[in-house]
Amino acid sequence: MTATLEWQLATVTAIRDETPRVKTFTLSLPAELPHLAGQHYDLRLTAADGYQAQRSYSIASDPTLAGQIELTIERLADGEVSAFMHDVVVPGDRVEVRGPIGGYLVWNADGGGPILLIAGGSGIVPLMAMARHRASTGSHVQATLLYSSRSREDIIYFDELQRLHSGDALGVFHTLTRSQPPGWTGYSRRIDGAMLEEVLAKSDPAAAIFICGPTPLVEGAAEGLVGVGLAPGRIRTERFGSTGS
Amino acid sequence: MTMDDEAEQDPTDAMRLDGNAVAGTFHEWFGAEMTAAPGQCAACGNVAPMATLLAYTQAPGVVLRCSVCLAVVMRIVETPDASYLDARGAAWLRRPRQAP
Repeated sequence: MTATLEWQLATVTAIRDETPRVKTFTLSLPAELPHLAGQHYDLRLTAADGYQAQRSYSIASDPTLAGQIELTIERLADGEVSAFMHDVVVPGDRVEVRGPIGGYLVWNADGGGPILLIAGGSGIVPLMAMARHRASTGSHVQATLLYSSRSREDIIYFDELQRLHSGDALGVFHTLTRSQPPGWTGYSRRIDGAMLEEVLAKSDPAAAIFICGPTPLVEGAAEGLVGVGLAPGRIRTERFGSTGS
Repeated sequence: MTMDDEAEQDPTDAMRLDGNAVAGTFHEWFGAEMTAAPGQCAACGNVAPMATLLAYTQAPGVVLRCSVCLAVVMRIVETPDASYLDARGAAWLRRPRQAP
């Protein structure tokens, strides 16, 4: 078995609230392997009677951040693992993880080229790793994000996205599908063909496109992009077992 | 394009994931990262990265279907004693040769 697949005991060193339903867990790993933005770790819980539950969580942190990883986890209503992480785990606890895993929805600032990121809900997590990686490496490739959330309070990383927009020229477009605060100037509907065309017009024509979020959003956005003439080969998708966008 | 409300979607369609969700299991079986590796659907001939397979995970095992023709490409079942892989729906897979 390769080292990637060996389970190791990671220590939770910090827990940060992102939104009412989303927290970021900082993990210190005894044997951390290099990873790419977009990869994930498998996390496994074992009950006293031996019952195990396992889920995959995308790495949120910049890959160049050595010694630790951050996993941003949405608490799902029926989530065995996410509910335990949210309700039970405290700093100092240890959890079993293996990784990094995956090699499809990944981007490296070194030679990666321009990107258009389309996210729904907690599908922002692997794409945020790309945006953070681009900023930390000083990459000047054009990068644009279209991010769909239910309401303003459900937007993960809102303040940091504003900073990446003003400081690192990340194009950021938000859409809120359920409720909008007074004075909201972003989009106020589900992602549709007209929205995709407007965002495409402000993106690099050669951008690689990464879409991550709940299945209906991912499939709708991918079909919408192909519908306006994009080659399917430019689009990489990852469906999240998540709820809100 | 319109996006259906999630509530109006077939719940099985709305819950399906893709090959990214079983990247670790692929790695266990094939000894390498496989989600970016191409394979061919034996039913329709479509060649695509394994990440693009539709993954139905809300079951005792995982069923992976071709994203074009929806034929079953692979089934993976884990039991306490063993793992089972039925790959009769795949004509071939191409795994990158690893550095020694």
